[in-house]
Amino acid sequence: MSQSMVAEKSYGAQEFLSSQSQERADETVAEVFNMMLGHQIGPVSELDTTPCEANERTAIVGFSGSMRGTCEIRMSTLAARAVASAMLGGTPVEDGDDSIDDAIGELCNMIAGGWKNRVPTLTSDCTLSPPTVISGGDYKVHMRQPSMKMARVYRFDGNTLHLTLHREDLVAS
Amino acid sequence: MTGTILVVDDSAMMRKIVLRTLKTAGVEFDTVLEAGDGLEALTLLRVNTVQLIMCDINMPNMSGIELLLKIKEEKLAAGVPIVMVTTEGSEPQVRQAILAGARGYIRKPFTVEHIENNVKPLLAA
Repeated sequence: MSQSMVAEKSYGAQEFLSSQSQERADETVAEVFNMMLGHQIGPVSELDTTPCEANERTAIVGFSGSMRGTCEIRMSTLAARAVASAMLGGTPVEDGDDSIDDAIGELCNMIAGGWKNRVPTLTSDCTLSPPTVISGGDYKVHMRQPSMKMARVYRFDGNTLHLTLHREDLVAS
Repeated sequence: MTGTILVVDDSAMMRKIVLRTLKTAGVEFDTVLEAGDGLEALTLLRVNTVQLIMCDINMPNMSGIELLLKIKEEKLAAGVPIVMVTTEGSEPQVRQAILAGARGYIRKPFTVEHIENNVKPLLAA
């Protein structure tokens, strides 16, 4: 495939970093939290938030096809417990319960899918990987190609959610 | 409602959410079967008769679309409404699911209204 064909089909860097792309992320996060958790959530300036505790959970979903990259959400374990409980309709969730990882994996999956489905060029030509959930904060996501990222921070019920979308540069093969 | 429902999703959390939302929408069954992927669902369908199948698409071992094709091939659920519940909402994927035998399609995240609009009419038919 020629470089120009790849560029035509892929999701452009400029579009990825645009304010419209951020708005799509904000709309998606608000929709998922409203529909699945019954919570209001909104974006905040990163400076306004307290950092996540060392004890935190991260969920990652991969994009492949016309955009290659990842969707990553990160929050404290306490916040992840609150998410799991809300997704179960208010049922209390204990520390160490499998439903905590399951909940933030599904949350990440719906955010990745919702954002992708709002981008016309990605809707049909980009697929999602199953979610991976990581406990702890000492990790790094490595990209195979040079990449760029869009980061957003949200607050819900006194908790912080960090969303990072990574996009790898596609190279013609 | 009497009968059996099969919910297929690799997320136990999502299976619970689907069942809770169905209940809120007034759709309840005597017996609930749950499967974590298409292979588990096939095993259950070979020995059980169900009245409704709610199925994810992206699953390990056997996807929702592969499951639909196997159900058709083995004639395991003739006439049973199958509703896909998935994050993947592109037109080609919806078309592929419908061609493989799905009767409804619900995109995650969803609400009670989505269930009422997409599942209830299938059960009333």
